Order: sequence, then C-alpha cells, then structure tokens
Amino acid sequence: MAGAAPGVRAVRRLTVWRPRFGSVRTRIVVLFLGLLVLVQGTVLVIIDLAGRQAARTRLAEELAVGAKVFDRLLAARTEQLAEAARLLSGDFGFKVAATSGDHPTVLSALNNHRVRVGADRMMLATLDGRLQADTLQPELRVAPFPFPELLEAAEDTGQAVSIAVIEDGAYQLVAVPLLAPLPVAWIAVGFQIDDRMARELRDLTLVEVSFLHVGPDGHRRLLASTLPSRSRQAAVASAPPAGSSVSLITAGDEHVALAVPLGADAQAPVVALLQRSLADVLAPLRRTQLLLLGVTAGGLLVSGVAAVFIARRVTWPVLELVAGARRVEDGDYGDPIRIEQQDELGELAATFNRMMLGLAERDRVRAELERLSRLRRFFSPQLAEAIVSSGDEAVLTSHRREITVVFCDLRGFTAFAETAAPEELMGLLREYHEALGQLIFEFEGTLERFTGDGLMVFFNDPLPCPDPAARAVRLADAMRRRTAELSEGWQRRGYDLGFGVGVAMGYATLGRIGFEGRVDYAAIGSVTNLSARLCAEARNGQILITQRVLTEVEDLVDAESLGDLTLKGFQRPVPVFNVRGLRADRAGAAAPARTG
Amino acid sequence: MMNLARALDRRCRRRWCLAVLAALLVEAGMGSALALAGLEASVRDDKGQPVSDAVVYVASGGREARSPRPGTAVMDQQNKEFTPHVLAVEVGMGVEFPNRDRIRHHVYSFSPAKKFELPLYIGTPPPVVFENPGPVALGCNIHDWMVGHIFVAPTRYFAMTGAEGVARLTDLPAGVHELRVWHPRMRIATEKTAQQVTVERAGEAKAVFVLRLQREWRAPRREYGPSGG
Repeated sequence: MAGAAPGVRAVRRLTVWRPRFGSVRTRIVVLFLGLLVLVQGTVLVIIDLAGRQAARTRLAEELAVGAKVFDRLLAARTEQLAEAARLLSGDFGFKVAATSGDHPTVLSALNNHRVRVGADRMMLATLDGRLQADTLQPELRVAPFPFPELLEAAEDTGQAVSIAVIEDGAYQLVAVPLLAPLPVAWIAVGFQIDDRMARELRDLTLVEVSFLHVGPDGHRRLLASTLPSRSRQAAVASAPPAGSSVSLITAGDEHVALAVPLGADAQAPVVALLQRSLADVLAPLRRTQLLLLGVTAGGLLVSGVAAVFIARRVTWPVLELVAGARRVEDGDYGDPIRIEQQDELGELAATFNRMMLGLAERDRVRAELERLSRLRRFFSPQLAEAIVSSGDEAVLTSHRREITVVFCDLRGFTAFAETAAPEELMGLLREYHEALGQLIFEFEGTLERFTGDGLMVFFNDPLPCPDPAARAVRLADAMRRRTAELSEGWQRRGYDLGFGVGVAMGYATLGRIGFEGRVDYAAIGSVTNLSARLCAEARNGQILITQRVLTEVEDLVDAESLGDLTLKGFQRPVPVFNVRGLRADRAGAAAPARTG
Repeated sequence: MMNLARALDRRCRRRWCLAVLAALLVEAGMGSALALAGLEASVRDDKGQPVSDAVVYVASGGREARSPRPGTAVMDQQNKEFTPHVLAVEVGMGVEFPNRDRIRHHVYSFSPAKKFELPLYIGTPPPVVFENPGPVALGCNIHDWMVGHIFVAPTRYFAMTGAEGVARLTDLPAGVHELRVWHPRMRIATEKTAQQVTVERAGEAKAVFVLRLQREWRAPRREYGPSGG
C-alpha cells in the first residue's frame, strides 16, 4: 500500500484541499456525512416522536387523574365552605346580631364572621329574597338579592352552592338559612375565585388551573389562572369545550387540556380549565435529545475527518493518474506515475506507465521516421538511415568539403518536350527518373536536384566515403547503360533522345538552404557548374570527366582525352576526358560496397 | 297504619257530611242565636292527609273571648327535645320550661311575638309570659336540633289537631266566627287561612282547612358517646 511518501503527500494535499462540488472526494465526504446525518436524524426524529407520544399519553392520563383530584378537592372545598357557613348560621351571637334589625350592627357582624371563616363576601337576605346587608356594598340597604336562583335552590335542599359572576370576578357562593332555630334569613358566604385559589388547587393537583367565565354568547373571560400572564390569552383561546374529554392543544405551547364545568351543570357559566404543558414533561427528553445532538455533532466531526482521510486515500491515486494523464497530454513522458498499491488502481497506474512508455517510443519512432523521410529526399535510403541512426543532423550543417559531382541530362529533350503529348512526356520522365533514381540509391549518391531531364548527384557528402570519384564514374557508367536500354524503347516509339554526363571533383559549400517548410540540401561551388558544363558538352553516350576525376579513377576506366575545352564561366580551358567504359578487369568491382 | 288512617278519614268524611247537613238543617230551622256550641275543624294537607299539631283558633272576638286569669302551661325539655313539639297557649299565659335532663339547656326565641332567652339552666325557671299573639319558635342554643313551637292564640278559643287531624273547639258562643289555623310548617301566613264559620246554639259546626306544608327545618340530631337521656 501507500508508503511513507504518499502518506506525507496525503497530509500535504489535505491541507490544501478545497471542497469542490462534483469531485469524487467531495462526493465521498458528502455521502459519509449524509448517511450519518440521515441515520442520526432518523434516530432523533423517532426518539422525538416516541417521546412526544409517550408524553402525550402520560399527560392525558395524569390530567384525567388531576381532574378527578380537582373534582374531589373542589367538592371538599365547597363542603368546607358550606360547613363554615353552617357553623356561622348556628352561632348564637350572630343570630342575636342578625335579628337585631340594626343595619350597621348586622353589617359589622357579617364582616366579623366573614373574617372568621376566611370568606371574601357575606350577604344576609330575607326569606322572601330581599338583600338585607352585603359586605361588598356596605351602603346598600334595600335591594333584591342579586342571586335569586341560589336561594331557590337552597329552599329545596337547605343549602346551595353556585358560582356567581360579577363585574370584577367570580365567587363561589354558599347559601344556608340562618336558623333561629327555624330559618329567619339567608346567609350567603362568598369565596372569590382568584389566582390564589387556582394556585392552591394546582399545588394539590399538579395541573395548571384556570377559571373561565363563558358568557351566553360563548365569549370566554379569564377569571383566574395559575398560568404566566403571557400564555393566558392563548389558553383562553384554545380551551376545549366544557365537558369534553382530554384534548391535545398544539397551538402555541403544546399541552393537554380539559375543561371541567363547575357544579353539576355542564352549561355552567364558569368552567375550570385544567392544563398540563408538554414542555414540562418533555424536559428530560429534551436533555437526552440535546445530549444525542452533541454526540451526533461529535460523530459528524470525527466522521468528517475520517471521510476526508478515506476519500483522500481513495482519490489520491486517481488524482495522481489525472496528473499523469495531463503530463502525457502535454507530451511529457518522462515522469511515470508512482502508485505502488496492489489493487486495481495500482494495476491501472502500471498499465498507464506502460502506455506512457509505448507512447514515448512511438513518438520517438515517428520523429525518426519523419527525419528519415525528410532526409530521403536528398539521400539514398542507406545514407538517410546512416544519418538518422547517427543520432544528429550535425552532418547537414553548413560546411565545406571536396565532393564529386555527377550531372546528367537527355539530349534532344527540349525539342521532344515541345512536341510530345504531356502524358507521354511525363510517362517518359517517370520512367527515366525511376531508372536513374534506383541507380543513385544503389550507388549511395546524394541527389541534389531534379531539373526536368537533368539531375545532379554528388558523393562524399553528407557522409564521407572512401572513393567518391570511383563511385561517381561507376554511377555515370551505369546510368549510360540504363538509358541506352531505355533509349531503345524510346527509339521504337519514335523519340530520338540521347544521354550525356559530366563528372567533376572539387570543393563546394554544403548545407541546408531554403526556408521553413521548404528546405533543400544543396552544394554550392564551381564544381557543380563545371560538371553541368561538362554534361552540356557531352554528346550522346559520352561521360566527360575532368583531369582531377581521371586521376582518381585511372585504374578503373578506359578514358580518352578530348583536349582542352573552353567552357562557359571558366576563363581557362579545361582538359576533358571521355570515359568510354569501365575496364573489364575492374568490372567485378562495378557494384559498390553496401554501407548500410 | 295507613289503613287505619284511611278508615278514620272515611269515617270523618262521612261524619263531616252528616254534620254539615245537620248544621244546615239547624240553621234553617232555628236561625242565629247566642248560645254555646261546639266546632269540629278538620285539617289536611294538600294530599288529603290529616295534619296533626295544627292550632285552630278563633281570630275575632273581643275581651270577652279572653280568659280572665290565664293559667300556666308547660313546655318540657326532656331527652334533649321540646315536649310537646307544639304548644298552644292563650295570650297572656305563662309557660314554664322545666328542664328534665341532667344537662343544662339554653332556651331562646327570636320570634317577633316573643323574644326571650333562658340562659343555661337546670330545673324550672320562672314562667315566661306571652303577651303578644303569634308563633314563637323555640330553640336551644347548645342543641341545634331542639326545635319547639308555642302558638300564642289571641283568644281562649283554640284547639290542636290530633293524629287524625281534627281539632275540637267547645263552649263557643253561637254566632259567626272567623276561624284560622296555624301550623309550624305551613307555607302561608296564618291570617290567610281565615274562614267564617257560623256556630248554632247547642249545635256542632264543622270546618275544613287544607294546608300546603313545607319541609321541616331542623338540624340533624347526631349524637355519639354518652347521651343525656
């Protein structure tokens, strides 16, 4: 697997890693974290749902129990109030005062006893329903009793309890007769339904208690409550109808609620609204969820780091491969990919490296071939290959050297070209060039140029050879014999074409000339002119050579002197020899030694 | 018990019919004349049941209808109850309240006809004289359930119904009398029960009162431990 070097590299890359959407690494990290978030989120949601469901069920049960306790408490409280009122009605001193007929005295006694039983209001009424005294309205003397239905109920049963709603609140009223020992008046004792009472009931029932007055038009008014003032309005608005079963209120703070009518009558104007908030019960669940959330966050962090590392481990070979591919794209085959993993990626890297080597080799070969084909324009295949295999083209740079130049052309070609059909002309030239070209390759001469029927070949350059003059003369002889053969065919077709050759030897400047896109290898010097002039002087079948050439090939050829010829461009007459043929004893050496 | 009551009732009704017939015959034959006669008043509730402890009295009548020297009546306290439950007296009479229990009682009344109080006592205090006519409800301050009634009649012509619901007035002067009835549980004032009855000399007049009664206001007697009697 990855050694020390990739590890170090991984850390280095990690520090510079930028999340890029769409990259494999980002996707892996996102996948990891996404899965974790999904799982943890699902767990959280399930816990939340289950917790809520359990809490709701528990709350509903607790509220039902609370409502029962509330009922009992209220009944007990009512009984306690009635008992207090009854005790009061049996108080002899009170009887004396109440029957005295003196209003201030009656009022004073009422107040005294009101304080004694801890009531908020006390009233005395005649048996026929007139108010005699009211501690809440001390100045009032004669008025109808404000709650006549209470007295009606008390007449039947001897005692009545009801909820009386007045402007500034509600009272739980108990009416009992003042017995002396027969009823002589009604005593009504009132206990205000206030926040204190609600709190007392809450402390015992453990549910939030609110008292609502329901008007005839259904309008609800809050009389007292244990709720904080901010949530009172919502509680009033969302209160379920009286007498229904436990309701789940999700508006605002989620809670369960139950409306209990006060008194046996379900249409009672005052209902007790009992509530339990879900938030209280859910508090431990919230703590657990918070803890879980913390664990999830920690897990995410650890997983994130791990995911980045793993993604790094998975993707760095890929990135390495990408970098390698980029290098190949830029033509750099020198730096192979270093992945030593023994898995598919390692295999891929190895394959890639092999491919890279192959590409490098192919490019190298292609370049060589290109060079070769370029060189072949001037040089024989052997020469071209020799130049290419020498590894550099330094031999082609400009230099001066002694060369032997062979210049030849056809006699009567100009006249022929004027009269012959183009197809015939080109066919003939092709035939001629093919034949001579083959010979040039054979003798490894450097073909300098074609000029229609003429062509120039030189030896000893760009690669030196030991016997340039001999080769040149042999080539010339071979060409003469070949054209002679061709000439027979031409004669049959009616073309009267002859062949002449000039061979000269001397120094010339050699090198590439031309411009980018069209470069030729050329020899510049009087030797080329001399050979061209000799060729021009040669009659059909003649090979004219200079003294210098003859000196080199004396043993090889059978030559005759043609004397000194005055040649155009040359001030002094030049001694010229015609090669009649190669000597028979040298004929064995007619074929040149292969060099390549 | 019910059968007996019904039998009595039937008998009463028959007798009452005969009496009315007789009275009519007497009146038709003899006209009005001052003479002593008897009157039988029957009191029933609205369900036709005889009402006991109802006081039937003559409302009209001047000084001659009063006793020259009214006597003394007795309202016992025995076994923590007033005995009798209802006592009718003539105006001006005195009533003794002997305590026959071993514990003390505290008798009081807040009734307009007679307000008085006999603070905790044992034995027999001096009689209380009832100068004004009207009902007087008696209570005991230390025993809430003890309720007794004294009806102070304005004349000496009064009588109480028994178990069969009949009150008998004797020695009534002949003539037209306004009869009234009072009962501790009646729903209307006694004045509203007035009815004119003509009593013939040596005859026997009849009267019928029908009363709607209300429940009895009485504190429940709950006693635990050693009782007084």
